[in-house]
Amino acid sequence: MTAEGGLLCRSLTVSPGGVGVLRGLSLEVAPGTRTVLVGPSGAGKTTLLRAIAGLEPLEGGEVHLVGRRIDGLAAHRRRIAVVFQEPRLLPHLGVEDNVALTLRAAGVGRGERRARARAGLEEVGLGGFAGRRTQGLSGGEQQRVALARALCAEPDLLMLDEPLAALDPNRREELRRLIARVQAQRGLTTLIITHDRAEAAELGERVALMLDGRIVQHDEPRALFERPVSAAVARFFGVANLLHGTVRDGHLSWAGVALPAPGPDGPATLAIRPDHVELAQEGPLRATVTEAVYTGAHVRLVALRGDHRLEAHVAPALAPPAGAEVTLELPAQRLWRLPGDSDSDGDGDGDGDGDGDGDELSEASGAPSSPADPR
Amino acid sequence: MSGLHASRRWRDRALVAPAVSVLALLFGGAVAGMLKTSLVPLGADGLSGATLDTWRELLGDPAFVDALVFSLRVTVLATAASAALAVPVAVALRRRGLAIRSLAALPLPVPHLLVAVAAVLWLGAGGLADRLLGGLPVNLVRDDAGVGIVLVYVFRETPFLVLLMLAAMGRGLQERTEAAAVLGASPGQRALWVLWPTIRGPLVVGSIIVGAFVLGAFEVPLAVGPSYPPTLATFAFDATQGSVLAGEGLAAATLLLTSTIAVALAVAAVRFARDAEGA
Repeated sequence: MTAEGGLLCRSLTVSPGGVGVLRGLSLEVAPGTRTVLVGPSGAGKTTLLRAIAGLEPLEGGEVHLVGRRIDGLAAHRRRIAVVFQEPRLLPHLGVEDNVALTLRAAGVGRGERRARARAGLEEVGLGGFAGRRTQGLSGGEQQRVALARALCAEPDLLMLDEPLAALDPNRREELRRLIARVQAQRGLTTLIITHDRAEAAELGERVALMLDGRIVQHDEPRALFERPVSAAVARFFGVANLLHGTVRDGHLSWAGVALPAPGPDGPATLAIRPDHVELAQEGPLRATVTEAVYTGAHVRLVALRGDHRLEAHVAPALAPPAGAEVTLELPAQRLWRLPGDSDSDGDGDGDGDGDGDGDELSEASGAPSSPADPR
Repeated sequence: MSGLHASRRWRDRALVAPAVSVLALLFGGAVAGMLKTSLVPLGADGLSGATLDTWRELLGDPAFVDALVFSLRVTVLATAASAALAVPVAVALRRRGLAIRSLAALPLPVPHLLVAVAAVLWLGAGGLADRLLGGLPVNLVRDDAGVGIVLVYVFRETPFLVLLMLAAMGRGLQERTEAAAVLGASPGQRALWVLWPTIRGPLVVGSIIVGAFVLGAFEVPLAVGPSYPPTLATFAFDATQGSVLAGEGLAAATLLLTSTIAVALAVAAVRFARDAEGA
């Protein structure tokens, strides 16, 4: 593991208010890349951000940035800029002075401060806002000012803590694009925190899932959606169908149907996303639709076969009504056998490399390995 | 845009008009009454008998000048000391729990006169401390410099200013301070750019209230102040005791001047608060 130019957190233990939130967490963000830390509320994401930024004391562990150890430095000496969920602008200063705050702290002269602040505002699409007061700005505009302010610091690491959470969907989309564009243009090492898995997938070159104070899978976004290392990861990323059974001779028997499951015999769990479950004309997997809910993009079907439940997302035009008898198909290349014995909520190896430990059925069955975009 | 601003300005004025009207009626009525009393001697025939004799007598009285200087000194010292002490106390208390904050606010409900009487009982010549310790190194009660008066007001008014600042600090100060820290602002810069703009308003407004109160109150100077010089308030009080005929006019003129000084100090303080811009 190396952190040359990037961020390396090693065995961090943090207990804000005496409550152990992080227990030996390790994380690496490669230089110039964008990693998204995703997880449910209470997982410890913000605590990790605060610990890296120097706002929360470490009980143990090390933080390295651009090759130097920084966990002993005060927050203002770490060369880390943070955009928080709420913009946290200084209300007694105008937009330009807010953006230039970091330059003022560094002793940069007034003229240069002004020029660089205006350039920063241009970069985030607020070119004409330099003379404005912060009070009259919308939430999205304030968050852009906060981003410009963070960029003005020219930090070694940019961290964003749920920066889009307080915005409406359209503003969120705009700011998401802006963050990705600016990060790519500047080649900034960036760590973004969110609880939204779709946002994580869109923003992250790498995504780290955090559960209960630990990183349980750190990989490319697609791997977390399609090749989860545990049932807990699968559930977080919307893999509603976890099919438990016993594998014998390369097949798992589930609801009376044999599903291809390469690997050793024994208890196992197959995972398949609802988007990958298909309606078929005929086949062995007959089920009764108990729920059909239109969600805007698709119809969410819940089908029962005896005590066994399957969820499928189908196009509205093809969706059968509740009560209908349907035939479902689970494409072999979309089935993923979870590593380990069955539906353990274990945390996997915590630092996946894209291969996971599971067996990709597409390879076993000879089908092309081209999983559909799960998003 | 300017039309919108003008409209907002008029709307804001309309909103505060009822409160301003009540204040103008009460304060303005009192001022008008004092002005009449200071100009029209007792028994004179209406406003036609108005004269500036009382004002001439007042301004020519060396005791009044001494009282004015003494009052201003005590007011400025008590207010400045309370404010200077309140800032570090508020900063220290801001992360403390309710119990400790309540303890710090304990002097607030205690009447000034009670504090002054306790000071006399404990710190006066022949008081409890004098007897317990066999003598006191300094004389704080009825001392010529008015240190006793200042200390009573500092004890009583510092918690008031602390509470005002704690209320202001509760509104996002911690978050803004953290934001400034991760942007590279040192502790000193954070105090100047984040803490000071947050507490400046309540500190100035609170100090105006404290200053105006200290300038006009007479019970503490009567209890722990020197026999001479008096404060303006005790000077006015003494005037009513000394001369039945001219005393009311002198007292009214004195209090009118006291009010004018208090308003002038308040205006100056508000202007300072508006111009500081946190730098």
